[in-house]
Amino acid sequence: MSGLEEIGLEPRASAPAALLEVEDLKTHYPVRRGVTERLMRRPRRLVHAVDGISFSLARGEMVALVGESGCGKTTTAQTILRMVDPTSGAIRLNGTDTTRLSQRRLRPLRRRLQMIYQDPYESLDPRFRVRQTIEEPMLVHGIGGSRKERHDRTLEALERVELSPAELYVDRYPHELSGGQRQRVAIATSLVLDPDLLLADEPVSMLDVSVRAGVLSLLDGLRRDGNMGILMITHDLSTAAHFADRIAVMYLGRIVEHGPAKEVVRDPRHPYTRALLSVVPKRDPRDRSSPQILKGETPNPIDVPSGCRFHPRCPIAEERCTREDPRLRRPPATGDGHEVACLLA
Amino acid sequence: MSLLEVRELHVWFDLQEGRELHAVQGVSFGLDAGERFGLVGESGCGKTTTILGLMGLLPPTASVAGEVLVGGESILAGGESSVRSHRWNDIAMIFQGAMNALNPVKKVLWQIVEPMELHGIADGTQARRMAGDLLEMVGIPASAGERYPHEFSGGMRQRAAIAMALACQPKILLADEPTTALDVMVQAQILELLVGLSNDLGLALVLVTHDLPVVAQVCERAAVMYAGEIVEEGPTEALYHAPRHPYTRLLFAATPDLYGDEAVVSIPGAPPRLDRAIEGCAFRPRCDSSLDRCESEHPEFRAMGAGHRAACHLNDLPGEERAAREGARRAGSAAPAATPGGGAP
Ligand SMILES: Nc1ncnc2c1ncn2[C@@H]1O[C@H](COP(=O)(O)OP(=O)(O)OP(=O)(O)O)[C@@H](O)[C@H]1O
Ligand SMILES: [Mg+2]
Repeated sequence: MSGLEEIGLEPRASAPAALLEVEDLKTHYPVRRGVTERLMRRPRRLVHAVDGISFSLARGEMVALVGESGCGKTTTAQTILRMVDPTSGAIRLNGTDTTRLSQRRLRPLRRRLQMIYQDPYESLDPRFRVRQTIEEPMLVHGIGGSRKERHDRTLEALERVELSPAELYVDRYPHELSGGQRQRVAIATSLVLDPDLLLADEPVSMLDVSVRAGVLSLLDGLRRDGNMGILMITHDLSTAAHFADRIAVMYLGRIVEHGPAKEVVRDPRHPYTRALLSVVPKRDPRDRSSPQILKGETPNPIDVPSGCRFHPRCPIAEERCTREDPRLRRPPATGDGHEVACLLA
Repeated sequence: MSLLEVRELHVWFDLQEGRELHAVQGVSFGLDAGERFGLVGESGCGKTTTILGLMGLLPPTASVAGEVLVGGESILAGGESSVRSHRWNDIAMIFQGAMNALNPVKKVLWQIVEPMELHGIADGTQARRMAGDLLEMVGIPASAGERYPHEFSGGMRQRAAIAMALACQPKILLADEPTTALDVMVQAQILELLVGLSNDLGLALVLVTHDLPVVAQVCERAAVMYAGEIVEEGPTEALYHAPRHPYTRLLFAATPDLYGDEAVVSIPGAPPRLDRAIEGCAFRPRCDSSLDRCESEHPEFRAMGAGHRAACHLNDLPGEERAAREGARRAGSAAPAATPGGGAP
């Protein structure tokens, strides 16, 4: 049973809908004005945090949203979760547009969407034992039935995240767990709600290298066997290349390139993607190809450059790039589903 | 004679109830002018403690043993009074998280002028001019020195922290995780700067990080630390292509590579506690190819060829036997990322 039926909404009648469809989504925040700006009646300015992005995600699929900090990755996730309201566009979950639902009607849907945060040290309450942490969401959402059933679900969730035997972990406090184990508990906490979609925001960046692979393989297994969709937000292209089916590269609130992970990494077409890939340090010291280091940092999304928003930092920009805002399209000789927003690609 | 020579450095921290934690357990390495040396290992393995020890900057709860020679002169032997004349003047460091620890109420230029005046390098107008030059050298316009740290981006603050460390023209720079909190593009900019400084000024650089690929790209040589000890040291090429300690091999195998297709595998278990004596090899409980003697006998360093050494009993086996042992285990360990029962990392 999907969350949609629970709230009496029919999924759209069309062909099997993707689990998540994001269409031309925009999330703009007003910039807080200082006193002088207010007195001088300067117009309110906007942060174009997410500025018209579209993508979809199917069950069993992992999509990585990559880009530098400030490019809009986290706002995208927060908007999908409706922690912030979108300015325009649609977010369809199992075919139902959630952007127009009231918070009350959203509630049952929320369960289907779970977030895994970056910092397992912050996302777990230090006063709660693992058992309480995992039972909490069941109590909040009024599921899990009897005490016994909740207990069983808790143990099952721990086993699913490979904290096994579960009895060894249920009574521990967060400080009695390693970083990797804490992140596993955080994942178990979202699994008890049986979500359709996991949003994982930098799920391993706080963890030690030696344990990252374990947590990522766990997420990988969950989406393959559990039929879940995972949207992973990361700045680590190597991780994205390894674990995601598709990669979407964001720059200043827009997706500038997306496509099958291996293809985006091996045959990048957007100059930004190319630069980004060129600066990823390789494991092999003999493999020191010269990185293409862009000057400066991502400009701020209040003053979005005209035309192609990447043109001020682009190594190949031409005059028309300062005027024309490129749309995503499939460049010549690329595979299915590979799209690039560049006039010169 | 090396520029910096560290011999058998030990650090103990006093804990409550008379217990102590042996954070650094006999670390030795050396480096020459202009050389770039990496110090890598998991969180808690003693990287920061090692370099704070070199600087004589450990808290009063720490006891230190061993020798640190700068240009042949032992700097720790005479306690604070002997180390003070070398600290910042000969050997300087960029603290872990330095970019977020700049003084928020002082203009950036002043934060460079101050150490110069304090150490009698220059004062007044001359110090200000030199500080301006330093800022330019690290890629910040001198005029921006009149701004406060919060007006800088993360990358700019890290550049300022580097300029500050260079205020007294040291010969050796210890950089503790200088790019960990930064985006890949900014990381590439900072690494390019550090490499440039070591080339242009003949600065010897110790790059401390948990990020193997960063070390692989920047350093000629590196040491891998585990549980307070260096377990392998050598040219970065040798560490990657012909590691002689299973920990080095497994760390690389746990690190995803942009173009690598092989599965990334985490290392089961966690590092040992350092507040108890460790018997035998500290890595044995997590090792995939340990021998019986690893349980009781602490492995000593063995030279593996030019500038390459490792502390592992496997190196006492004939080459073929060692390869077979490691190879067999490697194939077997590739399946589950976590060991049931042993607890997921
Ligand atoms: N002031 C202190 N008192 C007691 N123990 C300490 C102190 N500082 C560090 N330690 C311990 O010493 C060991 C080494 O810590 P250190 O900070 O040097 O590790 P590190 O390799 O730099 O780790 P990270 O990658 O997390 O920065 C750890 O077990 C740590 O808990
Ligand atoms: Mg440290």
